[in-house]
Amino acid sequence: MTLAPIDYVILALYFAFVLGIGWRLRKKISTSGDFLLSSHGVPVWITSLAFIAANLGAQELIGMSASGAKYGIMTCHFYWIGAIPAIIFMGLFMMPFYYGSKARSVPEYLKMRFDEKTRAYNAVSFAVMTVFSSGISMYALGLLLNLVLGWSFHVSVLASAAIVLVYTFLGGLTSAIYNEVLQFLLIVAGFAPLAILSVLKAGGWSGISARLAPKMVHAWQYMGHSADNPMGVEVFGMVAGLGFVLSFGYWCTNFLVVQRAMAARSMSAARQTPLVGTFPKMFVPFIVILPGVAAVALAQMGAGYALPMKHGGYDYDQVITTLMAKFYPAGMLGVGLTGLMASFMSGMAGNVTAFNTVFTYDIYQAYIRKGKPDHHYLQVGRATTVVGVLLSIGAAYLAQQYNNIMDLLQLVFSFVNAPLFATFVLGMFWKRSTGHGAFTGLIAGTVAAFGTWGLTVSEGKGGVLGNLHEFPSVMAQNFWIAIMAFTCCLLVTILVSLATQPRQEKELEGLVYGLTKIPHDASARWFERPAPLAILAGAAVVILNIWFF
Amino acid sequence: MLDLRVPSGWFFTILGVILLALGIFAPDTRAALTDANVNLYSGIGMLAFGLFLLAMAWRGRKTS
Repeated sequence: MTLAPIDYVILALYFAFVLGIGWRLRKKISTSGDFLLSSHGVPVWITSLAFIAANLGAQELIGMSASGAKYGIMTCHFYWIGAIPAIIFMGLFMMPFYYGSKARSVPEYLKMRFDEKTRAYNAVSFAVMTVFSSGISMYALGLLLNLVLGWSFHVSVLASAAIVLVYTFLGGLTSAIYNEVLQFLLIVAGFAPLAILSVLKAGGWSGISARLAPKMVHAWQYMGHSADNPMGVEVFGMVAGLGFVLSFGYWCTNFLVVQRAMAARSMSAARQTPLVGTFPKMFVPFIVILPGVAAVALAQMGAGYALPMKHGGYDYDQVITTLMAKFYPAGMLGVGLTGLMASFMSGMAGNVTAFNTVFTYDIYQAYIRKGKPDHHYLQVGRATTVVGVLLSIGAAYLAQQYNNIMDLLQLVFSFVNAPLFATFVLGMFWKRSTGHGAFTGLIAGTVAAFGTWGLTVSEGKGGVLGNLHEFPSVMAQNFWIAIMAFTCCLLVTILVSLATQPRQEKELEGLVYGLTKIPHDASARWFERPAPLAILAGAAVVILNIWFF
Repeated sequence: MLDLRVPSGWFFTILGVILLALGIFAPDTRAALTDANVNLYSGIGMLAFGLFLLAMAWRGRKTS
């Protein structure tokens, strides 16, 4: 794939706009809250799109179109089961406690609700994970651009990191959020035409379903047995593992996304943010997964498209870029590629802004230097932004050098994350749960995740500690690891809580269900209220599932 | 606070004009697998979206 000069003009235009937005927002910053939290001043439509865009990184776009080609329309489960229900739950039931507690971050909520050690554990693990995931996605982008366009790995990594650094350094979280919205719009503009063109060329949905095996074009029909579908997952593992544990654990507790909702103007705006965000989220599969599915049909037609290959196997990660090269002329190709860069930047800026907030408030202010004037923390926040970007670049090079270490790290992160939702759901809805309970529960959940991984085998791998069970696929194994971690964390937290001293109810006001007044916004119009929005989103996603059943 | 509809509106307007101009003045720029004038149609779409955002921002400024 080669780019014409006009494509570079479009890329440059985009860079000018993201930097310009950062420049325009630089004067609004006088406190650490302005820089790290946006000081609760962002309109709902902006926080909602940023909520979705911060998660829509380049790895997600490339990975989801790759999965579309590999597993077919079942990949939509990552959105319709693996995201929407959790996002609705977060807006309806969890946001009142996050926003109402006046916590500045998710770890800080844990400190208020439980104790110092639970916060420290969450803050440190989150900070480390954020830096690494930002580095890994930077590595993935550098690799792809090198492969597809022949750009130098160093130049792509360093230049894109520098741009993200400049606009987040200038305008803080507000700048990251505002740019995420522009990036989201650009991703849609760059990818939607590809979905339309590739599906039309493959003969529409009916043409695709006629060419592909039925299990590639049905989301649910072949999920009774793991052996029947390409993912190797059965209904229970999918719904409980992905739909419940993993997705609620991510969308309801990950500060990267929660931070966007916390930046909203008011409690009702904070609750609307995830709920409104479900609507763009549920249609993202149409622009990222559908082209992947269409690519397989196109390859079978022999119409001049072949699936990309590497080392004798299919290289699904290149599906989206090879499709662009075949369907986009110079001009639109620039827009498509800029959309890919935009997704990378929105993901990275999300990581950087979450990292600097957690580091500044939950690590630096909590354990390194307490009680300094706010100006000091503003400077630390700015410095952390630079350090965060530098660490991400370091992680990207580490990933390039030692691929296996990164796989191992991601595995460890998944063990740490798996039990999180149990801790939060007990913390928010069971006033009897205690700090000791939460902390031991988290550790026990992580140990359970490690144990499940060590004692089971999938696709011939794993079983370090023994072989009690064989999973048909790595994905099924991951879902079951999550289920075990969640269950174990839940039980241990309950048992230890019952054995330890509960906190005074007065101390828990605003933090726990039953002790928190959830304001009823009587002046809001019906479509601004959480319940009708949630019902509408729920109904829409049920219709989508039935449509692709 | 900065009204985000203004920069986004300008961005898509400029992008739309570039693609529209390519679609009109270089209609033979085609991709391998499609006969459609992709730049022309996406240009029209992006221009319309950009102008829509600008119109919304302008209306918002007038009422507030």
